[in-house]
Amino acid sequence: MTLLRMFLVQTKMHFMWYFRRDGEMIFWTLVMPVFFLVLFSYAFSDGTTSRSSAFLVPGIIGAQVLSSGFWGVGVMLATFREKHLLRRVYITPMPASVFFASLVVYRMTLLAAQAVLLIAAGALLFHVRLLGNPLEILAILLLGTATFVSLGTIIGAVTRTTESANNIASILTVPLAFLSDAYVPIDRFPHAVSSALRLLPSTEFIDILRDVSISGASLTHYGVWIAALLVWMIAGTVISARTFRWV
Amino acid sequence: MSDAIVVEGLVRRYGSLEAVAGISFSVPRGTVFGLLGRNGAGKTTTLECCIGIGKPDAGSVRVLGLDPTRPQGLARLRPRIGVQLQATSLPEKANVREVLELYAAYYGIAPRAAEMPARVGLDGKLTRQVAQMSGGEQQRLALALALQHDPEVLFLDEPTAGMDAFGRRILWGEVERLRAAGKTIVLTTHYIEEAERLSDRICIVQRGKIVAEDAPAELVARHGGDATVSIEAEGFAPDDALQNLGRWTRTGTEWKLATRTEPGLALAAVVTRANSMNAKITSLDMHRPTLEDAFIAITGETIGEAA
Repeated sequence: MTLLRMFLVQTKMHFMWYFRRDGEMIFWTLVMPVFFLVLFSYAFSDGTTSRSSAFLVPGIIGAQVLSSGFWGVGVMLATFREKHLLRRVYITPMPASVFFASLVVYRMTLLAAQAVLLIAAGALLFHVRLLGNPLEILAILLLGTATFVSLGTIIGAVTRTTESANNIASILTVPLAFLSDAYVPIDRFPHAVSSALRLLPSTEFIDILRDVSISGASLTHYGVWIAALLVWMIAGTVISARTFRWV
Repeated sequence: MSDAIVVEGLVRRYGSLEAVAGISFSVPRGTVFGLLGRNGAGKTTTLECCIGIGKPDAGSVRVLGLDPTRPQGLARLRPRIGVQLQATSLPEKANVREVLELYAAYYGIAPRAAEMPARVGLDGKLTRQVAQMSGGEQQRLALALALQHDPEVLFLDEPTAGMDAFGRRILWGEVERLRAAGKTIVLTTHYIEEAERLSDRICIVQRGKIVAEDAPAELVARHGGDATVSIEAEGFAPDDALQNLGRWTRTGTEWKLATRTEPGLALAAVVTRANSMNAKITSLDMHRPTLEDAFIAITGETIGEAA
């Protein structure tokens, strides 16, 4: 009971932080992705936007998962540490697991809202249809979020200031969004390059998400890639747990 | 087992700097213990080692018999201690009520949103957002968070630094009240007056070491030096009776008595003798040794503001 209440109140506090920031966060997390969808659907169209938009809906959702882990969790943790909020929380009886669980649930809820918005915008504006099994889509989204939150936590663990966390998150998020099949198809790159890029967890995740959601492929075909994502997630969690500092 | 806190041979290094260079002290239950020293003397680091934030490089710490440097000890200790950190660190987008509710949830208690704000002078400000509060108000809210779960031991790190007179009065009142209620309190400060007024015992910390530890009155009596009485009066000279009060020195027209007797009585005697000598008093001064005199005598420096 006590733990549940801790968790709920802490999660509420994360949302308070989100909603009371003068709309700045709402703009970046909800408005900008839809804007990108519209912009790039036309920019990358081959005469018609049906293919580019169908490529972009899962791509941008995937990119949001990446930035949610790197910025939403990594930079947020660094900011909390810099503002001494973490050390204040550390000296209370709240277990670290409850704190991180609330952070993950907060980001997952936001991602769900982002995904729903992008799927709705894709359907209404570009007639993008999702053929995949909703549970499988949800499962791969959860796995991706867990992976990139755990990797993002490393950023929050190893950086000392918000500024350096910001820098690392930018260096990772922006290029990865373009090199991971999110905005532009990587099969336009030379074969050697695209093969190498397919080893990135971000590419694996976004490709599975796209195949499952748009093409209606079954998750069962992606055993190796899912195993690879799990390895990244476990590695991220272990490294985070080893390096994380509350003060 | 009447000591709430026992620190032995505590060492904490930051690179090549020894912030805490072998500190030992113990704090009996129900008393107020003041760590007094300049900024950078090692007070905060010592306190952080008591609450699990700082990891000692050597030495041992026990709070309520528990070891805050070990996870199990710290987990059992956390619900029983209250802490006000030096830098206020509150969720800035939440209001006073929400912050109290958050911390009540952390400790598994019912929020005391009716009682706490009044105790720290924030009554009527339940819906005020942290970001819109002054620094002093934020510090008082931080104090409320340290107290809300009624801890047995309270750690206050420079609790009144930057506070106005109102905030200081509130904090001092709370410390006196909690002491009367049998709580143990450790506070760090670089305000001599605060340490003297609140502490049962004071540790003077200098460059990571304890250079003196005693009750405030004892520190003054032992290290504060003599009281002085200075008089300028035409035709005055100390006679035998006045010579017996202490050591007289003369600078220009001013006579100065350094004495171990009660300076008020010495002053009265000096004035009476001066009057009976028909000496016309032009200037008169008395100085009773203070904790600041003791601090300067012990450390060889003033407490100052700078590190």
